[in-house]
Amino acid sequence: MPAIRNQVRELRAARNITQQELADQVGVTRQTVIAIEQDKYSPSLETAFKAALALGVSLEQCFQYDPKGRR
Amino acid sequence: MSSLSYREKSLYASLLIELAVYLPYFFLHGHNSVSKVAGMIAAIIVLQIAAQGIIAALTRNRITDERDRLIELRGYRVGYFTFATLMALGLAMLWFHASVLNNFHPEHSNMGLHFISVFFGILVIADITRTVAQLIAYRRAL
Repeated sequence: MPAIRNQVRELRAARNITQQELADQVGVTRQTVIAIEQDKYSPSLETAFKAALALGVSLEQCFQYDPKGRR
Repeated sequence: MSSLSYREKSLYASLLIELAVYLPYFFLHGHNSVSKVAGMIAAIIVLQIAAQGIIAALTRNRITDERDRLIELRGYRVGYFTFATLMALGLAMLWFHASVLNNFHPEHSNMGLHFISVFFGILVIADITRTVAQLIAYRRAL
């Protein structure tokens, strides 16, 4: 399991937002949103805050840190 | 192609152009010359400008983000490591030829072109390695 996991895909689907729409709101490419959703890329703190803000949740609801996970 | 980001498309174009121009120079031409090196550099510049212009015109979303910059840095690290390793190997071979085999003759008329070709070849390999490393990073999502 990765050290930083996220609920971006679930939160985005619940709000009926496309990957491109979320990418536009956060200011990243759609490919970066895909990488974040697949837990293959851990975004910067600023991007994580922007994603949480765009999804209307707190940072902790969107991203979780597992100290035992792989980095 | 729509699943590729702007930077990825740009990298694929760069790689194709580099291979199309460099491979014939290094593997097909038996007798290279300074004018061929100059022609190759000019061809690379013209083709890169044309290809990047076309990609920029055809891509609506030309945003680059933090992941693009991270992948770019990773590519440059791989490219620099390749360059430094090949330069060290090249210098070691030069020393080997000069000291051990004693067949290094700088006064030979083709020596300058030979040095340019080797140095340019190292630059080319490092640049292609950098591009490939970046493309692999994109395909593996980093």
